[in-house]
Amino acid sequence: MTTTSLTPPATQRRRAASGGRPPGRSGTGTSRPGSAWAAPAAVFFALFALVPLVLVAALSLSSWDGLSGPEFVGLGNWKKLLDDPVMLKSLWLSVLLTVLGVAIQTPLSILLGVWAAGHQRNRAVLSAIYFVPLLLSATAVSVLWRAVLDPNFGVPAQVSWLFGDGNLFGVQSSAIGVLVFVSAWQFTPLHTLIYQGAARAVPQVLYQAARIDGAGTVRQFFHITLPQLRNSIITSMILMVVGGLTTFETVLILTQGGPGTDTTISAFYMYQKAFKSYDYGTASAIGVLLVLVATVISLIMVRLSGYGKMRSTMEGL
Amino acid sequence: MRQCARFPRSSAGAAALALALSLSACGGGTGSAGGDDGRIHVLVYGDATNKVEKQLIADFNKTSDVKAVLDTIPGADYQAKLQTIINSKQAPDIFFNWGGGSIKPFVEAGLLLPLDDFIAKDPGLKKKFLPSVFNSAVVDGKAYGIPMRGTQPVLLFSNKKVLKDAGVRQPETWQDLLAAVKKLKAEGVTPIALGGGDKWPTLMWFEYLYDRVAGPGLFQKALDGDKEAWAGAGSRKALGMLRDLADAGAFGTNYDSVKFTDQGSPTLLANGKAGFELMGSWEYATQQDSHPEFAEKNLGYSAFPTVEGGKGDPRNLVGNTNNFYSVLKKTKHPEAVAEFLKLQYSDKFVKAQLGVGNLPTTTNTEKFLDTAASPHFAHFQYDLVKKAPDFQLSWDQAYPQKATTSMYQAVQRFLNGGLDEDGFIKAMQALPTS
Repeated sequence: MTTTSLTPPATQRRRAASGGRPPGRSGTGTSRPGSAWAAPAAVFFALFALVPLVLVAALSLSSWDGLSGPEFVGLGNWKKLLDDPVMLKSLWLSVLLTVLGVAIQTPLSILLGVWAAGHQRNRAVLSAIYFVPLLLSATAVSVLWRAVLDPNFGVPAQVSWLFGDGNLFGVQSSAIGVLVFVSAWQFTPLHTLIYQGAARAVPQVLYQAARIDGAGTVRQFFHITLPQLRNSIITSMILMVVGGLTTFETVLILTQGGPGTDTTISAFYMYQKAFKSYDYGTASAIGVLLVLVATVISLIMVRLSGYGKMRSTMEGL
Repeated sequence: MRQCARFPRSSAGAAALALALSLSACGGGTGSAGGDDGRIHVLVYGDATNKVEKQLIADFNKTSDVKAVLDTIPGADYQAKLQTIINSKQAPDIFFNWGGGSIKPFVEAGLLLPLDDFIAKDPGLKKKFLPSVFNSAVVDGKAYGIPMRGTQPVLLFSNKKVLKDAGVRQPETWQDLLAAVKKLKAEGVTPIALGGGDKWPTLMWFEYLYDRVAGPGLFQKALDGDKEAWAGAGSRKALGMLRDLADAGAFGTNYDSVKFTDQGSPTLLANGKAGFELMGSWEYATQQDSHPEFAEKNLGYSAFPTVEGGKGDPRNLVGNTNNFYSVLKKTKHPEAVAEFLKLQYSDKFVKAQLGVGNLPTTTNTEKFLDTAASPHFAHFQYDLVKKAPDFQLSWDQAYPQKATTSMYQAVQRFLNGGLDEDGFIKAMQALPTS
């Protein structure tokens, strides 16, 4: 990933056509676009991410119900949050949902993606159908599954050997199960798409060589396909972690954080504090906390995966 | 190239950003109300009743020099959006609310106009409404709301056919209800349909049992800040009775996965899979809408059963006492606003409300009950409300909004066994009362 990705090619062309000297030319030989090209994206990012982040951080030190002006309370909100069992539980639930999501979606989408990478016609047709959930909004998907899983009029009423009394949303374990399942149903196709593309990009010569050496399908999968997918796996996992930590509408529509607070994940807890309890100060504190947690997790992932020094797997081919 | 890590970071930022954006949207607002454009803005909850309000405003504008404009906010977002615009330039002059806790924070922030002066000039603004209803919008001894739309008491609905098949009558006492639960369960139907997924239907059982067992005083004390009220004998007795009811299998086992709002529990009742449902009077309109045949032939209704030895008057009601119009202090046209409020007890308005299935609580409503969409049901409700010595506003409306989430969690967890009596009492004591 280079900095050029920050600048849309169209802008580049227009600037070049207007005769402006390409800025940032360093004169050392290789011409790289200068930092000015990043300005539009940087301004956008500052305006819609950094400024609000600073404002939210400031708001997290105040008590504000939206009626009278915010009142400075120092670390009051933070102290309350640290003592709040629901907050701790919500962080734990967010992490749990994310981990379960990654653990279930990754193997599924790798297998499906590698399978869909084949050029057979039936695979093309089936994968086209399989990608439909990608086109639906998370809200629509949640409403749909809420209806399908209704204990009296949905699937559980007919399949009682599997679902028992159908009280899926009334018990923590099954409520979490539903959330993980619905997210997987919706997002596995996206990751399948990533793996399909990556699997198709694996050079055929590697497989030909392996076949000559007598490697079977399974061996080829583990020794060629999987290592070649390494970068895609990391990309896809990062997307899953981001998606997992920011999950919101699935919870809002399917469980509303219930039963009790048993599926109240941090993002939903923030929403409850802000728009149900009108406690914008505490909600902002949760928002900042989420940013901190996500930053730490992302740093860990970058460290562990070696994402920063990632190299092409194509070298020498 | 460490910047690749900006991916998750910025997305987490986006979560915070979403919050911040919505906050800053408070200033922008979508409502066109407020400011002084020479008109009065009337903000109401957006639903089917709006056609009556449109008519009312058209009538008002025919004679008034200061014109009125109707602004609506679609149902689910009403309270949250109101909260964000009420102290901004977009604030309306007059707005719809539920009285009690829904306006208390606004009163405390000094935003609302006490209506006592209006009432002194036109006593009809108070006298023309049933007192038990009018008092729901009295805060600290001052009137802040004029009743509009209708009253919605909570009633015990039933499927007459299911009851008949099981040899059960509409219960008059708590013992009757327990016996009915046993018989219905033996017949293989869920005795009582409960939309526990919505949580507020669960709360209704608490509201009625507390009222019947301990009288309205207990809740009032608790609301006034005396947290010990929750720990008293009356509170424990009501909780014990609820526990007995749940343990008897009255609600089945999967009620927490059932909702009223997605038609789950009303359909159970209409299809004969359940015998009873405790619900606001809107159940009638809901059933008429989705199961017209059932509503006509087999939908039974009665007041909540009496509890022997209970301190509460058996005629007491709980529910949404009424909707109200409140007025902002900073309105530029108080005279026009007063004229507008007077229309709320006019014959024409009362008839129009009855026509769309609402039950206004004006003293002249009685004359027009026969013109209502369902006269028998209208008469029944009106008599209940008129005779009720006390009409308890739903707890979730009476407490400040910020208490609602925790209250819902407490009632849900008590009924499904996640909390014991002490745990529930502690949770209720922890609710903010102001």
